[in-house]
Amino acid sequence: MEIDPSLIKGLTIGLGAIGPAIGIGLIGAAVVGAVGRNPEIQGKILATAFIMIGLVDAVLAFVLLILFTTG
Amino acid sequence: MLVPYFAAEDTAPLAAEKLLNVGPIPFTNSMLFGILTAGFVLILFGLAARTSQAWPKSRLAFYIESFIDLVFGLMAESFGDRKKAARFFPLLLSLFVFILVANLSGLLPGVGSITLNAGGEETSLLRAFTTDLNSTLAMAVLSLAIVHIYALRELGLVGRFRHYFSGNLLNPVNIMIGINELFGEVLRLVTLSLRLFGVIYGGEALLHAISALAGNFAWAAALPIMFLEIFFSLVQAYLFMMLTATYLVTAVSHEGDSKSPASQPAAGSA
Repeated sequence: MEIDPSLIKGLTIGLGAIGPAIGIGLIGAAVVGAVGRNPEIQGKILATAFIMIGLVDAVLAFVLLILFTTG
Repeated sequence: MLVPYFAAEDTAPLAAEKLLNVGPIPFTNSMLFGILTAGFVLILFGLAARTSQAWPKSRLAFYIESFIDLVFGLMAESFGDRKKAARFFPLLLSLFVFILVANLSGLLPGVGSITLNAGGEETSLLRAFTTDLNSTLAMAVLSLAIVHIYALRELGLVGRFRHYFSGNLLNPVNIMIGINELFGEVLRLVTLSLRLFGVIYGGEALLHAISALAGNFAWAAALPIMFLEIFFSLVQAYLFMMLTATYLVTAVSHEGDSKSPASQPAAGSA
């Protein structure tokens, strides 16, 4: 059976984006909750949140890497 | 196909291209631009250090000093000890600044688009240092080697061994946990290098793809992606520095006579 390569590319980015999207959503919800509870340490919370976003984002970067480097 | 004619040819190949041979070692375009980046950072900080005074008259020195103070505050917070932070600060700051400048240098005009004829095929002259897996792997190896050397010096061979295989060694569970920890060490190397490379290279490929899709309106469509790239460059450079600092904190601290047991689980979780 012949499969269109562009279908596979679409599935790669579509399925691969689900995990990071959920992860960043969870981080965002947690940050909003934490800042709401104690707004005086907002800077500290945001710094940690950016680290976590960077860690989660790497998964999406790997997906993009596979997407753009395979023919 | 409705793809513009320049769609696929723009994206840089995965491996850095060879410019010339220096003896048996190939000299690639990312190495060239990495040296230029390092020179730029050195000159910038050298100028700032020369004009640095107790009451800074120079604007450059003032900005660089406040930036260094900001980063040092962060480090002192994560080490929990200003003296210990000052000991590792030069390594961490130079990692941060160099990675940041190397990431941002990929967005400069002319990087990748200036080509020359090297050995019969057209290769781009410049390529951002962190879009090459070799260079990010080299940086990860350097920082992890320093972590291990300092840990060995601080804890000794037995202490380092007990760091992985703790508790009663007749219990097979403790041995399995130790083996798991050792795998984690190898995995750190892979994730530290591949994360930086993947984000920066993927971002540049995304930039090329978006500008190819937008056709005549590439200047408008690429602008938000540029801002995204600047943000990711900052986050990734910060992340590399913070992860190295966290590894240093967990490796160097004494677990047996821990003075601050509360800080231990928080540092180990990242």
